Amino acid sequence: MKGVAFRYLPMMALAVVAIQPVTAQAQEVTIVLSEEPDLLEPCQSSRSNIGRVVKQNIVETLTEINPTDGSITPRLATEWSQIDDLTWRFQIRQGVQFHDGAPLDAEAVAFAINRTMDENLDCEVRTKFFGGLTVTPTVIDNYTLEIATNSPVPILPTMMGTVAVMSPNTPMGVADRTPVGTGPYRFIDWNVGTSITLERFPDYWDGPAEVAKATFVWRSESTVRAAMVLTGEADIAPNIAVQDATDDIMDISYPNSETSRLRIDTLVPPLDDIRVREAINLAIDRDGIRGSIFSKDVIPATQLVVPSINGYNPDLEVWPYDPSRAMELLAAAKADGTNVDTEIMMIGRIGIYPNSTEVMEAMLAMLQGIGLNVKLQMLEVAEWVDILTKPYAEDRAPVLLQSQHDNNNGDAVFTAFNKYHSEGAQSTLNDPQVDDLLVRAGAATGDERRSLFQQAFKRINADLIADVPMFHMVGYTRVGPRIEFTPSISTNSELQIATIKMR
Amino acid sequence: MGQYLGRRALHGLVSLIGLLVLVFFLARLTGDPTNLFLPLDASLEARQEFAERHGFTDPLLTQFGRYVGDLARLDFGISIRQQRPAMDAALEAFPTTLKLAAVTMTLAIGLALVVGALAAYRPGGLFDRTANVISLAGASAPDFWVAIVGILLFAVTLRWLPTSGTGTWLHWIMPIAVLLIRPFGLLVQVVRGTMIGALSSAYVKTARAKGVKERAIIFVHALRNSTLPVITVAGDQAAAIVNGAVIVETIFGWPGIGKLMIDSIIQRDFAIVQATVLLTAVAIFSMNIVIDVAYAVLDPRIRHN
Repeated sequence: MKGVAFRYLPMMALAVVAIQPVTAQAQEVTIVLSEEPDLLEPCQSSRSNIGRVVKQNIVETLTEINPTDGSITPRLATEWSQIDDLTWRFQIRQGVQFHDGAPLDAEAVAFAINRTMDENLDCEVRTKFFGGLTVTPTVIDNYTLEIATNSPVPILPTMMGTVAVMSPNTPMGVADRTPVGTGPYRFIDWNVGTSITLERFPDYWDGPAEVAKATFVWRSESTVRAAMVLTGEADIAPNIAVQDATDDIMDISYPNSETSRLRIDTLVPPLDDIRVREAINLAIDRDGIRGSIFSKDVIPATQLVVPSINGYNPDLEVWPYDPSRAMELLAAAKADGTNVDTEIMMIGRIGIYPNSTEVMEAMLAMLQGIGLNVKLQMLEVAEWVDILTKPYAEDRAPVLLQSQHDNNNGDAVFTAFNKYHSEGAQSTLNDPQVDDLLVRAGAATGDERRSLFQQAFKRINADLIADVPMFHMVGYTRVGPRIEFTPSISTNSELQIATIKMR
Repeated sequence: MGQYLGRRALHGLVSLIGLLVLVFFLARLTGDPTNLFLPLDASLEARQEFAERHGFTDPLLTQFGRYVGDLARLDFGISIRQQRPAMDAALEAFPTTLKLAAVTMTLAIGLALVVGALAAYRPGGLFDRTANVISLAGASAPDFWVAIVGILLFAVTLRWLPTSGTGTWLHWIMPIAVLLIRPFGLLVQVVRGTMIGALSSAYVKTARAKGVKERAIIFVHALRNSTLPVITVAGDQAAAIVNGAVIVETIFGWPGIGKLMIDSIIQRDFAIVQATVLLTAVAIFSMNIVIDVAYAVLDPRIRHN
């Protein structure tokens, strides 16, 4: 028996070695996502795993947001101008056709806008960027479209960078699983649970892309995604955890547009005392967290938007680590009658970013170190969302809420109102001056707009200390040796296959 | 036998109806899906509009009435995340899990019977002690750890196997191996224990006295009498896998029902929760009936009672 086993063992080993795993073919790339898209609905393309498949690959937008500086560049629209406070006019690119042969014209774009705004369709783009707005497209001629809104939207060209233009043959009010657009790649096949395949569109208006075929697969475990690129089973893993980013050549860090913070509930004692809020900021050793719990590449934050966003205030300073000063502030607050011994809840969300529990535990120890009575609770996403959004419980405890915000859409309006206006769905601030600045900033354009948002962030973060800003976060993309691809701030929500070059 | 099976099926049906009612209310105890489905930045008006459109603002009993009415028409509802019939999603995922469970349990039972029986033949011997260590380690090892280490060793370092995914027979090896370890370890222990008892029984001594060969004594006489507890434990283990080999499905990217169920619970996608629970419950009830029949076939005392 023993002899038989030993006789066959080398043969079995050889057989296994001979049948190597299937690796990617020439001109074809495999991209491994963290989860399977639920849908391939263009209207949901702001969700990262849907956006990475469809946005600017299958379907395109009228305008595109430059990831470097947040500026707006043409895509399916060649130019645009403001007609009056409520109306913008867009010139549609000529000579473009959808993958199903339909021509791109003003009618087709109007259809796409109407479908996006149709309330019978669950649509994240509408909910996230067009809440409360009525958008009415009017066809002027074949390639001219006017878009009117019920209230002034000075950044409508920016917002059109979020609206995907799908074929006019797409059904209204029904979520799509086989998208048809004008992009450099057309949808071929979705083998549910296993893979999605796109193929180069030979008649693309900007010329055919270099990569002929792209296959999307998904694995939940970051270690597996990283291993797939290492073994050649995949070419890009857009999102791997910091502990798996161990290869200096293949792993590229990029600012992922997320900013982490602890939201301070300024409406509940003792957090309604600004000295307590300042003490909390001074107690956090950001340099100690960077390079240990978080990547060394994260950047200490001063506000909730990243520097490429219009309205970012470059004059704000990172809070220093000064526990002695923090203790003095608490003592002063206590002397004035603030009950600084009240139990403060630190509420975190499990897995909101890598090492989310570890960083909360570290900050818990730092806050306890200055004498605050702090308790930590880590929640699953569903419970956490209930605390994040209004309506808030009347008799709630003082809470420092772990959160993270993603804005790669070029403008601070996508952040500020929701987070800091007293009527914002996630605001725990009630300051008339902030409200006024945000309303005026939202209606302004150009330098005035930027200045007003900058003033708002100064008021929020320096004057009122409404947050514990932590870091502008980074993501890691693993790129295999067969291809050239550089991730950017937009890799968090899209992955343009046409930018990939074969080596 | 027919009457017995009919009675068991009726019990199963009653339990199934109870389960469907329970799942409806337990799922809704987790809260409203609105906040999870909509982006964090959605306005309060958008949240209200979404909740109303999907009927989440209706009184619970109204929602329950609608659910019962749909069930009566075998309509399990539409997944809010996938925007398609929930049962379609569940039925697409289930065969993967069934295949994993079938292959794993066949191998686990076959291997455990041989190893357990041989270990019991000389308790305390070298084979017994080796089998003991391996099976106990297998029964205790966390499968996510085994899976990751397996990938790093066999896929990344040795490059013998693919890291994950489906498609070729090579893709089956690691998921099956990881799934196999625990039931194999447990079943070896069960087989060994019952076989030690059986091998010291009077009928085995009689067989030996009659000169029956040792192989026949172990694998024919003793093993057949030791299989009842093995079937019980194997059924339990198979149910656990059918219910979702979540770790293996997650790590190796196998689109099974376990991962679908967990994801839908986390995302409060009630329709899929209900469809997957129903499907796995039917599978487990069916398996229990098969186990009962196997008992009756193997043990005449049960058959005659």
